[in-house]
Amino acid sequence: MMELDVSGLSCPMPIIKLKKFLAENPEKDLVVTLVLSDRGGLKDVPAFCRQQSLGCELLADNDELRFKIWRQD
Amino acid sequence: MTENIDSLPDSFSVIHTKGTLDWAYPTFILASTAAVMDRQVELFFSFYGLQCVLKSTEHLKVSPLANPGMVIKSPLGPQWFKQVDLNNYLPQLIWTLPGMTRLATWGFKKHMLLQGQVPLDELRDLCVSLDVKMTACQMSVDMMGFAESDFMDGLSFAGAASYFAVTPGQQSLFV
Repeated sequence: MMELDVSGLSCPMPIIKLKKFLAENPEKDLVVTLVLSDRGGLKDVPAFCRQQSLGCELLADNDELRFKIWRQD
Repeated sequence: MTENIDSLPDSFSVIHTKGTLDWAYPTFILASTAAVMDRQVELFFSFYGLQCVLKSTEHLKVSPLANPGMVIKSPLGPQWFKQVDLNNYLPQLIWTLPGMTRLATWGFKKHMLLQGQVPLDELRDLCVSLDVKMTACQMSVDMMGFAESDFMDGLSFAGAASYFAVTPGQQSLFV
């Protein structure tokens, strides 16, 4: 699984980096782990994924946040 | 939030009238975020807001003077000192002294970078690359004696009517 680490960046950069990553990786079966330190991402990332019709699952919530994100039909 | 996303407007606009660094950030943060959420974004810069779309953003400053809402924390020093909101303790008079605006601006920039925020010109370029539409108020440009060559690339020049012709009827922010 690919990993996108945007730790150290704050709003809106994690979402912008994720959006660019998705544009650069157009595979239909894409699965990526997003790692971020911005606590706002706890709600922002699922909201972005919902709006973009992406699957999203929170894997870890400690010093950093980890999300599994995938394209779905 | 549980809104039905189908009911959300597909465009977003901001009328920006402030010419200081601290006011510039919210506009460009909101604009870039809305753009990656597939909104069509229109920014209209009027009066002092023109300062935010000049070629360089280096001249933009922050002043704590008459700004009691501004949290002022030192980016340097021991941990206990960095937690203190200096605006609660320092008299406003101190911000009138020569060099204090420069000091506050330096501290603000340092603090933003430490928080993981990008420099303003980078954020602004990001907005351009995300296809955020920016328009400078022609009347303000003329009134303040600017030339079109003073401004960043990718900026349009038009009046308020042009802005209202392309922006949503129910959602605009005034900054």
